[in-house]
Amino acid sequence: MHSLKYFSKVSIAAAILVFVVLAVGCIDAVDPDIITVSTSTTALPAVQALIDAYMDNHTFADIQTKYYGSGAVVTAVSFGISDIGMISRDLAPSEKEGHIFKESVICHDGIAIIAHPSNTVDALTLADLKDTYQGKITNWEKLGGADEQIVLVGFNSASGTRTTFNKMVLHNEDASETMLEYNANGAVQRIVANTPGAIGYVSLGYATDSKVKSFTVEGIAPSVTTVTDRTYPISRPIIMITNGEPTGLAKDFVEFILSVDGKKTLANHGFAPA
Amino acid sequence: MSYMDNTTKKRVLREGVIKSIWLATALISAVAVAFILGHVICTALSGFLFNTNWNPTGTPPSYGIAALIIDTLLVTLGALIFSVPLGLATAVYISYVAPPRMRDVVKPVIELLAGIPSVVYGFFGMIVLGSFLQKALNIPSGACWLAASIILGIMALPTIISVSEDALFAIPKDYKEASLSLGVTYWHTISHVLLPAAASGVSAAVILGMGRAIGETMAVMMIAGNAAIIPNPIWNVLSPVRTLTATLGIEMTEVATNSMHYYALFGVATILLLITLLINLTSYWLIKRMQTGSCLPDRMRNWTHSEGMRVAVAAVAGIIVVWFLSAVLGILSAVVITAAIGAWYFGREKISPKFAEKSSFGIIYACTAAVILILAIILWDIFANGLPAISWEFLTGRPKQCGLAGGIFTAIVGTLQLVAGAILITLPIGIGAAIYFTEYSHENLLTRALRIGNDLLNGTPSIVFGLFGFAFFVIYLNWGTCMLAGQICLAFMILPTIIRTTEEALKSVPNSLREASLGLGATQWQTIRKVVLPSAAPGILTGAILSVGRAAGETAPIMFTAVVFSKRFITRDVFDPVMALPYHLFALSTTVPDVTTQHYGTAVVLIALVIAIYLAAIFSRRHFQKKLFR
Repeated sequence: MHSLKYFSKVSIAAAILVFVVLAVGCIDAVDPDIITVSTSTTALPAVQALIDAYMDNHTFADIQTKYYGSGAVVTAVSFGISDIGMISRDLAPSEKEGHIFKESVICHDGIAIIAHPSNTVDALTLADLKDTYQGKITNWEKLGGADEQIVLVGFNSASGTRTTFNKMVLHNEDASETMLEYNANGAVQRIVANTPGAIGYVSLGYATDSKVKSFTVEGIAPSVTTVTDRTYPISRPIIMITNGEPTGLAKDFVEFILSVDGKKTLANHGFAPA
Repeated sequence: MSYMDNTTKKRVLREGVIKSIWLATALISAVAVAFILGHVICTALSGFLFNTNWNPTGTPPSYGIAALIIDTLLVTLGALIFSVPLGLATAVYISYVAPPRMRDVVKPVIELLAGIPSVVYGFFGMIVLGSFLQKALNIPSGACWLAASIILGIMALPTIISVSEDALFAIPKDYKEASLSLGVTYWHTISHVLLPAAASGVSAAVILGMGRAIGETMAVMMIAGNAAIIPNPIWNVLSPVRTLTATLGIEMTEVATNSMHYYALFGVATILLLITLLINLTSYWLIKRMQTGSCLPDRMRNWTHSEGMRVAVAAVAGIIVVWFLSAVLGILSAVVITAAIGAWYFGREKISPKFAEKSSFGIIYACTAAVILILAIILWDIFANGLPAISWEFLTGRPKQCGLAGGIFTAIVGTLQLVAGAILITLPIGIGAAIYFTEYSHENLLTRALRIGNDLLNGTPSIVFGLFGFAFFVIYLNWGTCMLAGQICLAFMILPTIIRTTEEALKSVPNSLREASLGLGATQWQTIRKVVLPSAAPGILTGAILSVGRAAGETAPIMFTAVVFSKRFITRDVFDPVMALPYHLFALSTTVPDVTTQHYGTAVVLIALVIAIYLAAIFSRRHFQKKLFR
């Protein structure tokens, strides 16, 4: 029965460990105030920066984030899974049915068309882009570049960025089936940065990096200025939604986002003012 | 025929014609029924099963999953081509070739390979393998079928190795001794006596490995490119592909609940479940055969022994291997390698048995070394890049700037909370079920059905648990994403392992102990509580620890149900969401563009946690084994 003694020792140790783990959460003396913000991946870095800034001044606030495509953000807010949602396209009429969303446009975002830095093409037209993403142009040579096969990179189907791109560039027609699909700006940007023949579309904030180059579209380079004055042709609003009037911490945080400090943070992340 | 005059002949002929006319009408009615039914079913399914266009957001949307099914099968096939030879060779090495000391090294290494969380494999595949393939093969993107197959092959290796090793171990010693005493070489004994005798078990190993590959979500989703197309041409291993599981992983959280797209995803999950069901039933049947001692059924044995069948199998296997090689290494080297294999195959009768043995053992050593090398490369890459990130601040801070700065304390504690909850839920249920199976019931229809059910639950892809948890707890019960939902999903996932290991442990308790206790007048429950359970405790403990390790590394079941991207404080309420290490690594590597030491640091902590748990299991098993044999 030696093993029995050993086993009881081990199981007591294990039980203590489990208990400690479960108890650790209760050590904090304060009861934190918790809300959840769901955001489309486009706005994630900016929203996270806003939350970091807010929480630095509010010791007991715990603002959790989840990221999805815009479609799922609307679902999360309408089911009460999240208190605040950030979406990178307009609310569809079907989504508004049965809910009273409070919407406010917090900023505007351009969709930059990016490629590998070694790419020699600088300018694209909307028509070029449409043909490229529909697989009618398959080689950079046709666009004035080197003889290199084009690798299309885009978003998965629930993305607000994809919805906007499909609407403004593809006129709601289907993109080529060979397009690689990812569900975040960061993933698209990294693939493009590592792939000499790639073309991708990302939120403006992800195009400032030197690892990728961005094209001018219809002669306009994407930047906060050109998105602000709406001369850059592919942009969309970032909309904050709550299910009805926000209360408590959510209300306070919403007010912070719309304040001068909040707007400054958004501008620092490459978003144009609303 | 001379007795049959002309008229008789005519009459016979006429009767024959008339008969065939009626037969034709009968056939027409049967064919018509079959055709109508077939057509109705085909039309009903054509939009779903036979349609290759998966485009749920197109106008009009299209929900064809044929491409997804084909891609899933292709990726799995590739993984098997990679892992079956390596796995079998390693299993043979461990069972027959390795000196005992080497066996003690190689076996834990294989177990460690099984312990690496799938999200870490995905991370490694995305960062290291993907860019390596891209540069080495000069292809536009490293995210492709080949990369996914290699990673899945590595992930299937431990399953293939351990199950076929069990099968080889189960072969009676007499076989080996009888063969050797006839004067044939050791290699001839292995290849012509022992391996064929273990055929059922080895095929079960391959099929279980296949199930592992088909059911994997996270790794595939991170490296396969996710374009829902059939590779063109179909052997183009450099084409991006999208599997059934990856579709669920990517789109499940992204769709509006109760939309057509939402239901289509559940359709995808149903197909996935059916495929894994088929796989599990096959392996169940094969293992059953192995346990009852029979090899393959006679008809199948004749079949595999016929010369024509062998040539056909060899030809098909050869063509498949040439596809792969030519895509990976170029046409020339593919031809050379194929020629070498062909020369060996046809010339092997002329080679001396000694030389054949030496060269075969050489190949087996090389394969085992390759498996160990793979593990070494993965661990070295992760630890070399990740250890610099480990600091006190990293381990105790909260994440800042989307995880690019700060620490992962909340994620570490969240993972521990999730597995602690899961084990608290499963342990009583699992041990209870196992006690019922071994102590209270005799083999009958009910227990057999329950046991098959348990095996099927064991083979269910982890993403399906997540899907179920999302639809039931998060949406239907309206709990929202919360810790409890994740704990329950993980608990369901590890339940079969707990039941099975507990059952094994209980069975290993000698009946004489039970009889002695009952003979002293103890009741059955007293016997179980005071005699059987304490003796079985070590086995139960080991099983529980292994399950905890598995749960700690899983991402798919908690991705939809329990986790958030960032969070400041530790979760105190089971109805609040948590952060978890595997999901944190996934989220960092897919949303945050730069690969930083923070990514690698998270991977290091995750691997260290899981490996520590596995080592605890290995040590406790060793400890008790020594005790038992003393």
